[in-house]
Parts: sequence; C-alpha cells; structure tokens
Amino acid sequence: MKPKVAFFDFAGCEGDELQIANLEEDILALLDLVEVVSFREVMKEHSDNYDIAFVEGSCTRLQDEDRLKQIRKNAKTVVAIGSCAAIGGINSLRNYRELDDVKRAVYGDSAKLFDTYTARPIDAVITVDAYVYGCPINKEEFLSVVKSLLLGKKPDIPTYPVCVECKKNENICAFERGQFCVGPVTRAGCDSCCVNEGTICWGCRGLVDNPNENSEKEVLIKNGFTVDDAISKFRLYFGWQERRK
Amino acid sequence: MRIISKENFTDFVNSLINDSSLNVIGVKAKGDKFAFGPLESASELRLDYDVTLLPPKKYFFPQRETLVTYNVGKGFSGKSPSEVKPSVIIGVHPYDIIALLHMDEIFSETKSDPFYFEKRKSSIIIGVNMQKMSKWCFASYMGSDTVEYGYDLMLTDLGNRYAINIGSEKGEQLLDKYAKGLSNALARDAQLVGQKKREVMAMTQQKLDFSPELIPEMLAKSYGESSFWERHSEKCLACGSCVLVCPTCYCFDVKDNTDLTLELGERVRTWDGCLLEDFAKIASGENFRATRPTRYRHRYFKKGKYLYDRFGFISCVGCGRCSSNCLPNIANPVSLFNDMYHETLNSGVQVTAAPAPDITIRTEGNIDYVPRLATIIKKQTMTANETLFEIKLDDGSVLGHKPGQFVEVSVFGIGEAPISISSPPTKKDSFELCVRKLGSVTTNLHKLNVGDKVGIRGPFGNGFDAEALKGKDLLFVAGGLGLAPLRSLFNYVLDNRKEYGQISLLYGCKEPRELLFTDELLALANRNDVDYKPTVNWCPENETWSGNVGVITTLIPLVDFDPEKTYAVICGPPIMYKFVIADLKSRNVPDDHIILSLERRMKCGVGKCGHCQINHVYVCKDGPVFNYSKIKGIPEAL
Repeated sequence: MKPKVAFFDFAGCEGDELQIANLEEDILALLDLVEVVSFREVMKEHSDNYDIAFVEGSCTRLQDEDRLKQIRKNAKTVVAIGSCAAIGGINSLRNYRELDDVKRAVYGDSAKLFDTYTARPIDAVITVDAYVYGCPINKEEFLSVVKSLLLGKKPDIPTYPVCVECKKNENICAFERGQFCVGPVTRAGCDSCCVNEGTICWGCRGLVDNPNENSEKEVLIKNGFTVDDAISKFRLYFGWQERRK
Repeated sequence: MRIISKENFTDFVNSLINDSSLNVIGVKAKGDKFAFGPLESASELRLDYDVTLLPPKKYFFPQRETLVTYNVGKGFSGKSPSEVKPSVIIGVHPYDIIALLHMDEIFSETKSDPFYFEKRKSSIIIGVNMQKMSKWCFASYMGSDTVEYGYDLMLTDLGNRYAINIGSEKGEQLLDKYAKGLSNALARDAQLVGQKKREVMAMTQQKLDFSPELIPEMLAKSYGESSFWERHSEKCLACGSCVLVCPTCYCFDVKDNTDLTLELGERVRTWDGCLLEDFAKIASGENFRATRPTRYRHRYFKKGKYLYDRFGFISCVGCGRCSSNCLPNIANPVSLFNDMYHETLNSGVQVTAAPAPDITIRTEGNIDYVPRLATIIKKQTMTANETLFEIKLDDGSVLGHKPGQFVEVSVFGIGEAPISISSPPTKKDSFELCVRKLGSVTTNLHKLNVGDKVGIRGPFGNGFDAEALKGKDLLFVAGGLGLAPLRSLFNYVLDNRKEYGQISLLYGCKEPRELLFTDELLALANRNDVDYKPTVNWCPENETWSGNVGVITTLIPLVDFDPEKTYAVICGPPIMYKFVIADLKSRNVPDDHIILSLERRMKCGVGKCGHCQINHVYVCKDGPVFNYSKIKGIPEAL
C-alpha cells in the first residue's frame, strides 16, 4: 500500500509547497509512490489519516502548537520543509525587536486583536524526523528526501558548508567579487545555486552543525564590512539558531 | 624543438576544434579569473593566465562520476562502456602537469582506478610555460615551475611565435596532422626558452625560508605540538576549499542515487575532503578526526609526510590555489611551513632531511567497483541489534577470504558498507557476516530476508596470518561486536586445532543480552582444549548471569599464559584497546605478540578514497589487522 502523505502550512509564504506543486512530470512518478490525502494549495479534499506529514512555515502563535502536536500524533514521520519550518527562517528576524512594535508595524491600531509570540522552527515544538532545507526548497532535494524516507534510508543532507559546492562548481568566490556571503557557515545541499548565478549565499539552509562563526565574522569584517553588517547578515536566516546558543 | 608562428598556432587550435572526434579544452577567462573549459574557438584561449580556479584533474577525476548502475534486487553493472572521446587539454602549467604525475601514481598504486586511467590514457596534454604567476604560487620552491616530461607538447611564448617541445609520439603525431608552418628551432630559440624558464623563478612572490626537503622530517617532529596546530587552525571554517581546489587531492565519497521508480539507480563518486567534519566518522557515530586542529594537521601531513613516505614525493606542487581560496588565510603552506621552521629552530631542535624512504610500489590489475550479486541463504537473530547473515555468491564461486578480512556489502537503493567476515575460510560454500544495525545500510540489511539479493565486493584487507600463528598459544580478547572478525580466526583455529597451542577466549559485553554466538560459546564449555571466559559490564535485575561481572580487563588476571609463547588477538570498540594492551604488557607480553583488528570508515576498500586513513596507514589495505609493534608509533591508531 502506498504511504499516505499530507502537507501543512504555518507562518510562511507557501513557496515550498509551490515548489512541490511545480514538480511537473516528476509529480506523476511521485504519485505512483505516495497517496496525497491533504494539500491545501492544490486540492480540496482533506483527511487526517496520513503516514508522512510535510510541514511548511514557522510556529508563531501558541495555538499553532496544538495543531503541530496533533499532526505529530497523526503522522508516523514529520518532515519540516523550507527555512521557516526547519530553522525558523525569515520569521525569526522579528525576534530581535519588541513584539509590540512588530505587531503595531504590521497591524497598526488593530494590533491587539492579533495573537503572536516568538517565531520558531517546528522542532522547537515537536520532534521532527527529517528536514528539507532551503528558501525555497530545491525540488530535487525534496524528491531525494522522499525517496530516502520510502527506502528507509537516512536522507543525505550535507553537514559541510556551501563553499564545497562553490568549489566543485568552479565559482568565483563572492568575496573575490567584493560581495559578502555566509556560505562558509551555511549548510550545503543547494549545489550553491545562488552563487552559481553570480550572487551570494544568504544562508537560507541554516548554519552547519558546528559553524566557526567567529572566523566567519572576522572574514566579513576583514573584507570591509562593519560589525553591524555582519550581525544583520547572520540574523536574516540564522536568527533562531543564533539566539538559542 | 619546433617553432610555430602565432597565426599558425591559432590555425592549429582551430583545426583541432573542427575535428569532432576530439574534445578540445583550454584555459579561458571566467570573470577576472581563469578556468579550463571546452574551446569553441582558438580566440578564447588565454595562455597568458596566472592560475585556473580548478586544476585540470577535473577531466580525469571529475567532481561527480557514475561508477556502477543497478537494478534494485536484480543486479549491478559497470558503467556502460561509453566511448571516451580523446581530450586535448591546452595550456597546462608545469605544476599541474607534475600534479597529474602524482595522481597517476596514487591512482595506480596496488590497484589501478579504471575510471581515471580510461580518460587519462586517451588525453593529450599541451603544456605552456608560465607567463604570469599567481601571487600565491610557490612552484619554484617545489621544483615544479618548469617540467621536462609528463606532457605531449610544451609551449613557450617567444613573442611572435611559440617554441614547442615534443614530449611524446602522440604529441608529434598531433602536430603532424593538424599544424602547418612548423620549422625546426634555431639555437637562439633554445636559448630564449631557457631564459623564459629561468625568469619564472623571479616572478615568485612567496618566500619559503628553507629547503623543502626538510618538510617531511620537520612535520614528523611537530606532530605532537598541539598548541601549534590549535593556533594555526583556530580560524578554520572546515569548508574544505583548500583541498577541493588542490591538484593532488584525490579523496572521494560514494553514494547511491535511486530514481523515482525506486527500481533503477546509480552509484556515484564525488570529491570529498579530509578537512570536512564527517570525513572520518563511522556509522556508530565515532569520529576519528572530530576536531579542526586534527583535520587541519592531517592535510599538511598527507601532503608533506604520509604521501612522501609512501611514494617518495611531497604531494604539493606549489600552485597556491589553497592559499588563494582560504578566506581566513590559514591554508598557505608557505606561511605554515615557515612558522614551523622558525619555531623548530627557536626551540633548538635541529632538522635535517630524512633519508629517502624505501619505496616499493606494486600495481596488480584494476579496481572492480562492481559488486558481485549474492543471496542471503540464512538469517539468524543474535540479539536485538545483531543478526548473522549467511551469504552465497550467485556465480557459485568461493569468496576465498583469509580470517580477519572484510567485504563491502551493498544493499540495493541504500548503499555500501564494510562488514567483517565472521566465518572461517574452512567454510567454503558460503560465508557469514554478523551485522549490527547502525547506519542506513546495516539497518536495511536487517530488513532483508532469506532469498533476497545483496552485492558483495572483496574480500579486502590483509587479514590475520593464521599460518604464522601455528604452534603458538593464542589469547583472543573480544569486546562486543569485536567478536565478529575474531570468530573467523577463532573458528579456523578450532577447525585446525592440533596445529595451535593453548587457546583462550576472553569475551566481554555490556550486559548478558548483548552476547553474540551464545550457542557456539556455550558449547566451548564442554571442550577441554579451549579456555573460554565471558564477562558483562553489568547485569540488569531482570536478566540472569552467573559469570564474571566487570569490564574485559577484569578477565585478564584470570588466565594463565606464558607471555613468550602467547599471541594476543584483540578486537573491540576503540576505547578498549589501550586498556587491554596495558594489562597485557604488565603481564610481559612482547609488543610483537599483540595483534589488533581496527575499524575505520572503509568506504572504497581499495586504499583510494582516504576515509579510513590513520596517519599514513590505510586501514582497508594495510589493515584492518595490525601488529602492535608496528602500529604503536602511529599516534591516531589507538
């Protein structure tokens, strides 16, 4: 019997689910392997009977926790997809500001009607079995994680930084182009896609397991960036990971 | 030496490009840097470059390469024999030519890597003497700023013309076929070429303060200077850039990718690097080079000492790519070696060049990366986590192993893992593997049943020398799963019992339910020619145990043996060795009477991928069995 899968979204842009909806011909091959029972972005039907739950978005409200716990209870396997779910993502930027200021900035006078708290990745609330990193996720990597789960294999997610892929792709280092990049402390697996296109790594896949952050900050400053620049560079995606330390 | 005008050289390159049977590669601009790439026109060629981002090794040992394809449950096949289009690589600097010569020796030692050599042999290298030099380059110090062999053709820019040195028949034929307007060099041309080569040294901006012959011995003396290595590696990002751009680095990882049908897949090798965090990590989670200083030191030792001891060359050609790619600027070998040199001098230690190592390099055939199909014929649960698999090769052949060797086991769709052989060679029709559920391969192996297919490569490694042990008293010391490889020798000895002296087996586990081969071991109690003593670290209340309680070393005082006649054979978890060895030594067992079997990440099994390396030793090839007298001086071993 094909495993039943469901997709859920929390605070996020749904860009990761969009990547999956856009799998094109691979989606048919994928549907030979799994049965999708819930996917709000592409279908009306919904069922709570599923084996694998893919969760996009950060947890930003107390009531999100109950929903996450229910998903955890229903599913055998929970997979965090995308930066917001996996590492806290962009949502965690607000954790550096007063919550009341943030609410007023977004909702104005109606701020008191909205309930929210420190943004966090879903593994701050429930146990997560696998991660698909990225903002947005990479289609190939999503498929590779799905295949691994179906085969019973540990998903092959690199523990080394993006520099490895940049070197293999023979990119000119962003620092050599006078730009600043957090690739040296960011988990690889994206095939250095942004740098391949001539830009920089923003760190959307989160920090590697044992980043040498002091050295990276020193590199940024040595290359002419201010301490504030370096800190804001780290907050964009690493906000939750940085504060947890 | 021939002379060709620049116009005729352009025509020569264009006529190579126009021949569709050739793959013509040259140095081209990439932003304000340079890279080797396919040439579409001679006008793209930039022979005035300083250094390329990656060395030309990517054409022989690519970043990603399929070794084997598989059909899940059915079989493995070698990569279909694709026509390797001959490559002409234009513009290789002398240091990169020398680096390829290093790679040739490394990839042919013991067994040749067919994937590397199929491409290497069909290629033509057109070198060029350096006109510009990267500010990080120190090739002049490493003797690789010019080169006298290793190329098919070698160009020197003489202004309006190139001088061409012919290095091979292939190179000469290429000129005959594609080049027009060649003339023989005159004396003045030869003199100019000599002058251009001498000018290269003057371009060097780096300064090595001593002669590189001292490097191996200086490294040897500084191995234990942990504060030196900690200081120099403090800023290491563990990003692997230094090794990934290196023209002589050859470590690789191998992974299986199955397609979306979950039926077809390929086994792919990719570049790896010893600076990366998980490089020496095994499935149990043990990481043999877990810290940045140990990995950082390993890189310098690999280049300056380990490969020197094995091949007689310092495996650094001074291209400077590592230095230019290191963001915290700690990878420059010149700075590190200068610091080491001055600190050594200041500490009053004299360093002289070590005598050249005694080198014997053997090459016996090709590496076979394709596993043989085999069938699980028996599956016996031993504990909650360990199962004994009996396996038979489908082609009916005998595995032909020695006790203590291992095989690489493939589980379809998952990958390959090294597993020691538990059965003695006296059992011929099939062999046994005692496997613990740890990583993806072993966990999935446990899900397979009798009749299911697996892949087998090997046997690999040296194994125990059962012949040399004949007539000796043997003391087996096994901890946990360490019994699995020892059983192949132990049962072999029992099968040839008369040829060996007194036999003892000391076996320890954490708790009684973890004991392996319980039926076999219980049967030993009825034999009067074997002294068997088990122990457990503790016995939980719900289990029963009447034997010894305590770690394995608590058994050693309980056995009587003559240290002069006894050989101890040890295998267990990494932590066990030093305690057992200390106790044996206190009982006067000579070092060369202690034999160990070690575990590391043996990924390729053939001494190439680099993952199982302990200092200069490859566990998969030089081990996994080691005599303590030989390995005690190898600091990372125990």
